[in-house]
Amino acid sequence: MYSILKPCKTTAAFEAIPKERFSLDLDRCEEILGRVCMIVTNAGILLIVNDRCEVSIHKDGRLILKTDSKELAAEQAARISEWLEGTPAIRKPRTHAGPGNEYPPRG
Amino acid sequence: MAVLLLHRIGGISMAKLVSLISGGIDSPVAAYLMLRQGVDIVAVHMDNRPFTDEKNLNKAMSLVRHLQHLARRPIKTYVVPHGPNHIAFARNCERHLHCLFCRRMMYRIAERIAEREGALGILTGESLGQVASQTLQNLMVENQVIRIPVVRPLIGMDKVEIIDIARKIGTYEISTLPGLCCTIVPKKPATAARAGDILAAEQKIDPGALIERSLEGMYVLDPEAL
Repeated sequence: MYSILKPCKTTAAFEAIPKERFSLDLDRCEEILGRVCMIVTNAGILLIVNDRCEVSIHKDGRLILKTDSKELAAEQAARISEWLEGTPAIRKPRTHAGPGNEYPPRG
Repeated sequence: MAVLLLHRIGGISMAKLVSLISGGIDSPVAAYLMLRQGVDIVAVHMDNRPFTDEKNLNKAMSLVRHLQHLARRPIKTYVVPHGPNHIAFARNCERHLHCLFCRRMMYRIAERIAEREGALGILTGESLGQVASQTLQNLMVENQVIRIPVVRPLIGMDKVEIIDIARKIGTYEISTLPGLCCTIVPKKPATAARAGDILAAEQKIDPGALIERSLEGMYVLDPEAL
């Protein structure tokens, strides 16, 4: 679900970018993740702490994982995807059926 | 490393400014340029946690410590909790205007500290060649909330010039240490905000109460103690 990137060399975190386009309903994320993680705040972005790793969850699906370890960042991103996958917290853009026709036709 | 030559008149400092020190490259350069002119500064770090990490606070303190060594005098340093203000903006205001609310709040708090410290103005590292939100129109909207001047010695410089000075004075290495950028910054911040939009949105957040809460949570930190 995510590609793990280091946004810039001076940042003390990793960024997880969704491989497919989707958006997140942060209120629903709070509800779901609140059962397994500590919620710090839900204010435009959702801040959670899981296994001592602080994660900022953005509406566009991006995650900022406050850790120096790429392995830990990947592990945390995978866990969050697992918790959210298939729930109403994830809103995927509508597409028309058929290969190579991912976007609705114009006009 | 640069040696700071103070151009003081008869050994007496000319004025005092409240210097906003973020932990980035620009603000310590701005502070240095004014210290070099014999201006006294009071440093203020707006602590953006939980939207940043403690590394930024540590970097800001290291920068003030370095400036103290360059100026050969202590610099009083305040740390202001700014995270709760971000939460208020994010919950009540339009996302693309977030940086404007943030800066207007920083100016208001800095003005209150200036009153307390007998400072004549606010010193920032803003420059027009920087991030998207630092435009003349935005700066004008930000200025409207305070009555004291904002001194911006870097306003016309480009990033390369600022980095050159930072390298010469030895702050560049500290500013570029790992630290988390503010994670609540919108993807597309407003570049030409209108005062009317900001004022309408600010009615929802009670800036006066936020300022008082920020000042209550504010503390003085000795950069040498970290």
